[in-house]
Amino acid sequence: MTSRERVLAAINHKEPDYLPMDLGSNVSAGISGQAYANLKEHLGMKEGHTRIYDVVQQVAQPEECVLDLIGADALDVARVYNEKDSDWYDVTLSNGKIGQWPAWFQPVKTADGGYDVYQDGVLIARMPKGGMCFDQMIFPYKEDYPDNYDDLDHAMGQVLWSALVHGPWDHMKDFPTEDAFYADLRERCLKLRASTDRALMITCGCNLFEWGTFLRRMENFLMDIYAEPESVEELIEQLMVRHLHTLEKTCAAVGDVVDILRFGDDLGMDKNMFMSAEKYRELFKPYHTKLNEYVHTHSHMKTFLHSCGSIYGVMGDLIDAGYDIINPVQTTAYQMDPARLKKEFGKDITFWGGGCNTRSVLNHATPEEVYEYTCRMIDIFHHDGGFVFNTEHNILPDVPPENIMAMYRAVQNARK
Amino acid sequence: MSKIQEVAEAVEKGKAKLVGGLVQEALDEGCDPVEILNQGMIDAMGVVGEKFKNNEIFVPEMLVAARAMKKGVEVLKPHLASGGTSSAGKMILGTVAGDLHDIGKNLVGMMIESAGFEVIDLGIDVPIEKFIEAVNENPDATLVGCSALLTTTMPALRDTVAALNEQPFRDRIKIMVGGAPITQAFADEIGADGYSEDAASAAQLAKKLAATA
Repeated sequence: MTSRERVLAAINHKEPDYLPMDLGSNVSAGISGQAYANLKEHLGMKEGHTRIYDVVQQVAQPEECVLDLIGADALDVARVYNEKDSDWYDVTLSNGKIGQWPAWFQPVKTADGGYDVYQDGVLIARMPKGGMCFDQMIFPYKEDYPDNYDDLDHAMGQVLWSALVHGPWDHMKDFPTEDAFYADLRERCLKLRASTDRALMITCGCNLFEWGTFLRRMENFLMDIYAEPESVEELIEQLMVRHLHTLEKTCAAVGDVVDILRFGDDLGMDKNMFMSAEKYRELFKPYHTKLNEYVHTHSHMKTFLHSCGSIYGVMGDLIDAGYDIINPVQTTAYQMDPARLKKEFGKDITFWGGGCNTRSVLNHATPEEVYEYTCRMIDIFHHDGGFVFNTEHNILPDVPPENIMAMYRAVQNARK
Repeated sequence: MSKIQEVAEAVEKGKAKLVGGLVQEALDEGCDPVEILNQGMIDAMGVVGEKFKNNEIFVPEMLVAARAMKKGVEVLKPHLASGGTSSAGKMILGTVAGDLHDIGKNLVGMMIESAGFEVIDLGIDVPIEKFIEAVNENPDATLVGCSALLTTTMPALRDTVAALNEQPFRDRIKIMVGGAPITQAFADEIGADGYSEDAASAAQLAKKLAATA
């Protein structure tokens, strides 16, 4: 089996030849620049660069040499842009290692050693000294919903997730027209498809709940869901117009080239969901269903939902809504017991993640403990397909490279 | 149902638009303002916190209840003898240096306020000196709450607590810590007085610690 066939077999719930695995297929299944630089040093890999393609979370784009070494089966099509050395420049990361930022990303270094990002004179993002990611500094609808949504595109453009978006979207603005960008994207994805056996993923986001929290601020939007559902629905309708447009263009451009389309919408926290299952069904599920339907009707792509936290309460609804894959499978959150998830939902959805806990195990345990823990998770998830090995979210800067390699030894062991 | 019970019910259900009017009606009926505060609002928020802890309600329901209480307090404040509602004590709160995250910290602040405390929120990315300065400037503060969301800012939390532990005012304050990666074991290890895993538990812990401070 090729890597792509292996991943697709797993998603189709057929047992692949061996365990498929991923590092870096999207910005929540990857590795921070700092951890990546440490890992390469540990492995004695002196060539190449630590290229941070998601500047918000400071996530690195793993290079072929690393992907080959660990046997990764999927790629983020973000890499079709920023291919040249001149698309990047050197920066000293918080741990003293040298990484690279995309040439278009020019934050201002502050007097105390942090970084600020301005847009039209407005501070939109900040990373404190010693930080590991940029945080949102402006919430355009924090005070209230607007009288009309004429400025929604501008408001969304001030939010760091849009203003500092990763590839391939970071190059959209370089093209004279939207169609010219999508034509170029298709050409580049076809080239990538021809050059690799790995499965390809494109991130389209299309977040609904999360856009509400980005625009209104988390506390306000959470209250709106209960106290002002009509305003929430009005905003979602507006977001849907934009999201369906993105999907229309993306499916037409690369729907026959790329294998998986990644959506995002964090619905859970450690302790529970952000809202009740009833509220999810009332306000969000109908729209999530529409997004999935569009992709499935207009492309060959499988759909992937990134949702952190405790989401057991709506797993059945997410399957109903049409998602093929769920990530990152935060197994230590409330009700997210891995064996129960596999037993109850394993036939209907693919778990892309859950392979190793990044909050307490991967960063704080010994390599032996990491190895044993990872073997245990693989035992739970891997049988009958429906599993692509990945960590529970990105590998953060404080993870020792010895632990990362212990985790991948467990993957290799499962592949024998 | 008594007017105070009506206030309590409106707070519990998060009826922000109704609470102010109901508090006014209770005052007009001659109810004791302190009783309206304690039984109509602080106790109601205690019930809300308990339901949240038991996973019977979700964060937004807790938030709308706290917002509703705030509306009621606005009406009540001029009628309270001291002009204040911070009968339970004063807390200094902040997210530690290097960490810009405040959603959880704000929730904690809201719930602790709803339990009758005055909360002085120092915001995010708070240097150690600022915590120390705030405690010195507020000799009546009995609690300090420090939050860290990231595994990578746990060391900053450790340093903050260590510095507070060295201060001459240490005996008059209790230190509470929290945040996604924090555990009771970590709180014990770094010398904090208490840890709670969510905002509702934090309010209960604040009451308990303030009683012994």
